[in-house]
Amino acid sequence: MFSLVGHFHPVFVHLPIGILVLAGILQFLERRKPAAGLEQAINISLLFGMISAVISCITGYFLSRSDDYDEQLVNQHQWLGIAVAALAIVLYFLRRRQQGKRWHWPMMIGLMVLITLTGHVGGSLTHGSDYLTKAFGSFGKEDTARRAAIANVQEAAAYADVIQPLLQEKCYSCHNKNKQKGSYRMDEQALLIKGGKTGVAIIPGKAGEGDLMKRLLLPKEHEDHMPPKEKPQLSEQELALLHWWVASGASFDKKVKELEQPEAIKPALLALQNKSGTPEKKLAAAIPAEPVAKADDSALKRIRSLGTVILPVSQNSHYLSASFITARGVTNKDLQLLLPMKQQLAWVKLGLPAINDSAMDYIIQCNNITRLQLDHSGISDAGLQQLKKLTKLQYLNLVGTKITANGLLQLKGMKGLQSIYCYQTGVRREDYASLQQAFPGVLIDTGGYQVPLLPTDTTEVKPATTK
Amino acid sequence: MTQKELHTQRLVKEANERAAHYHSRRHFLRESAMGLGALAMGSLFGGCKDDKEQAISKVAFDAANPLASKQPLFPGRAKSVIYLHMAGAPSQLELFDYKPELLKLDGQACPQSLLEGKRFAFIRGVPKMLGPQAAFKQRGQSGAWVSDHLPHLASVADEISFLKAVTTDQFNHGPAQLLIHTGAPRLGRPSMGAWATYGLGTENQNLPGFVVLTSGGRFPDAGKSVWGSGFLPSVYQGVQCRSEGDPVLFINDPEGIDRDLRKASIDAINEVNRQQYAEFQDPETLSRIAQYEMAYRMQISVPEVMNINDEPQYIHDMYGTQPGKSCYANNVLLARKLVEKGVRFVQLFDWGWDSHGTDAGGAIDVGFINKCRQIDKATTALLLDLKQRGLLEDTLVVWGGEFGRTPMMENRDGKQNPFKGRDHHVEAFTIWMAGGGIKRGASFGETDEIGYAAVSGKTTAFDIQATILNQLGFDHEKFTYQFQGRPFRLTDVHGRVIEEIIA
Repeated sequence: MFSLVGHFHPVFVHLPIGILVLAGILQFLERRKPAAGLEQAINISLLFGMISAVISCITGYFLSRSDDYDEQLVNQHQWLGIAVAALAIVLYFLRRRQQGKRWHWPMMIGLMVLITLTGHVGGSLTHGSDYLTKAFGSFGKEDTARRAAIANVQEAAAYADVIQPLLQEKCYSCHNKNKQKGSYRMDEQALLIKGGKTGVAIIPGKAGEGDLMKRLLLPKEHEDHMPPKEKPQLSEQELALLHWWVASGASFDKKVKELEQPEAIKPALLALQNKSGTPEKKLAAAIPAEPVAKADDSALKRIRSLGTVILPVSQNSHYLSASFITARGVTNKDLQLLLPMKQQLAWVKLGLPAINDSAMDYIIQCNNITRLQLDHSGISDAGLQQLKKLTKLQYLNLVGTKITANGLLQLKGMKGLQSIYCYQTGVRREDYASLQQAFPGVLIDTGGYQVPLLPTDTTEVKPATTK
Repeated sequence: MTQKELHTQRLVKEANERAAHYHSRRHFLRESAMGLGALAMGSLFGGCKDDKEQAISKVAFDAANPLASKQPLFPGRAKSVIYLHMAGAPSQLELFDYKPELLKLDGQACPQSLLEGKRFAFIRGVPKMLGPQAAFKQRGQSGAWVSDHLPHLASVADEISFLKAVTTDQFNHGPAQLLIHTGAPRLGRPSMGAWATYGLGTENQNLPGFVVLTSGGRFPDAGKSVWGSGFLPSVYQGVQCRSEGDPVLFINDPEGIDRDLRKASIDAINEVNRQQYAEFQDPETLSRIAQYEMAYRMQISVPEVMNINDEPQYIHDMYGTQPGKSCYANNVLLARKLVEKGVRFVQLFDWGWDSHGTDAGGAIDVGFINKCRQIDKATTALLLDLKQRGLLEDTLVVWGGEFGRTPMMENRDGKQNPFKGRDHHVEAFTIWMAGGGIKRGASFGETDEIGYAAVSGKTTAFDIQATILNQLGFDHEKFTYQFQGRPFRLTDVHGRVIEEIIA
């Protein structure tokens, strides 16, 4: 019964916050414009705010008795909550009796401060004390920061680098210093092993027996399954890692390579490494991150009249993809028509024999180009050098042109470059090593692959003749 | 009145009624009693959509220019698709799904647990198990298992992502092929290539957006519906080209008709069609005009691109082509040329993979190996050639059959077949993808120890379709076409993008 009342705390607790803050706003407005007649409204808000604050205090008291929370924080929250209720009551009656008028405003400000503090401590209790600061910390950063980079998984610490991050992500929010659902706390090594109300959590070396693994492996619908079904679940890979760690002795200080690694766990371990260590590059579909304005329609029309296909890269982007493959008559000069959309051009397919170095004067002004196809064009090393100005370039196709390795080396230092195709050019196989050195991590393809003719390619298998 | 006159009269009457259909006010009012209400309801419900739903693919259909290039929903990783379909369904157990356990069971009777409640196309009674009929090795840095039947492909295994636990629910060729290509085992749905050209148009207006090439001496069992346009405007159906003789039937002007005369006659036909359109406003008429014009342009451009003779000798050697003949290698080389010229979707069918063991051609240890030899070099050359031209980054290559083969040896009607063969199998087979933003050297999905059923990473035809659309820049759940009062999509209500193999 008591615990039922307690569970209504999270529902009621939002009422005093809302209503009392409303009272504060109204009083602020009244101070600026006393004739607005808000007197009555403030009193009513205070009255209801006060009542709901008292209800919240009572429900909160019952909830705190269910024992799952950090005592110190609960204490703080409790007394702050009571202070809010008390202050609201005092303020309400002072206002009703029109007494101590010059204290009304300072008391209201005090009330607002108390509400903020109470709310914050309450939030820390339910979501963990680092809930807010964590969000600040990752502000503007990608989510990838959640998992520390593992360059070489074999050298990584089994617990600190592999297991702890996943517990932190999926378990700590309910089993931490401040909040111990089921009296279980996981952020301390000894307590992680010891378990909570329902028994020992981890029996090192016996993955099938500890309470932790049992609950994790229960079907999601089962009442005792962890994490609760509405919370983020562990992936199969994470389960496999945890299972492996427990089975191999639940060591807190060994490195991954010191533990026995059955064949089955290797992909999961390797995946950790790939995830953050050497992320696979997103090759195609690259467009600059910054949004651009829409290109001028009449300029687009002019360039389309040459037979080019020029379109936004997608329905909600203004970046353009231009293809000249059906625009056979286009010459260098025509490319000045691209200038009105120089900001928008991202992908340009310009494989025309008539295009040569003098066209680069226009191309380099389009500095948002990420993919540039100049295959079978008349570009030479001189024109290639200019492309260095395309700082966002990722993909460069020079197949079937006159460029040489020396020409390519002029592009050294272009940071965004991911792939260069120079099949059927002056670049030779021997140049490959020096190019690879000049462009570390860039895919350089000089082509010229051959598929050798094997005897089996031409012979036919015949059915065995019966003797 | 003669029979013929009566017939003509009826036809005229029907035509007039049909025409009146578009114009009569009475008809409009009668038909719209429900319609207006439904319209109002539609807009009321429309108001309930959230922003996400509002984003449902705004594919602009321009009847006058149906193949104009269009932008996808989001920037796609692949611009073109080459789908290599091995019609008849190759055995995964001899190519990619290595099962040493199965070898141990070779020749033993199939356990009852694998047969109970199951239905096979030909297996009856209790068949024997058939171990892998090929030697396997792990290849490249990825360690992918590829058998010795495909020595060339094995050398480029690191370019490929394997899906090893694809499943289907159709054990006959026709329905299974339809399922893979149109999203439904029955006739009437548009094929994947039709959806792709409907959504994206094509970059090169002088060529069809969706080209089909067949080899192996027979069409796929499901017939031309596997590249049909279903309920999409007919202009999106695949254009079947041939690598022998005229690339498109009747593409050359008939004898005595020169190009100017042809132009004049097409202009005249189009003029009549335009008048027809002015009168009836039927968008299919515009579509027809566009098709005539495209056909006229194609008369020049198609023979040019379909001619593989202008390719240098080393390219021919690389693919192992047989100029002048109709074969898979020629088709694969053509596919590369087409993609290079901006064709959106190239669909290849190679027939002859149905290895039941009823004759030498369909024997797992005879005909099947010959089929492997026919495709191995050319497929490998395609990947390498696309790669060296910088095209593999935005060309998605898909290889697969319509279902898999059983780990049991087929015993047609309970009797042993003259040759080693495997029956149709729906519970696990392998499809691979490469390029177009797919991971290199990955593998997803596993089968049990004998390769009978998927145990993890199970995927379906719908997942394959969702993934292909995703690589082209479409959300398969939002890319729809309004037909018969409801939005249709390629994957119907199924499908999941296989993120595990996307780079």
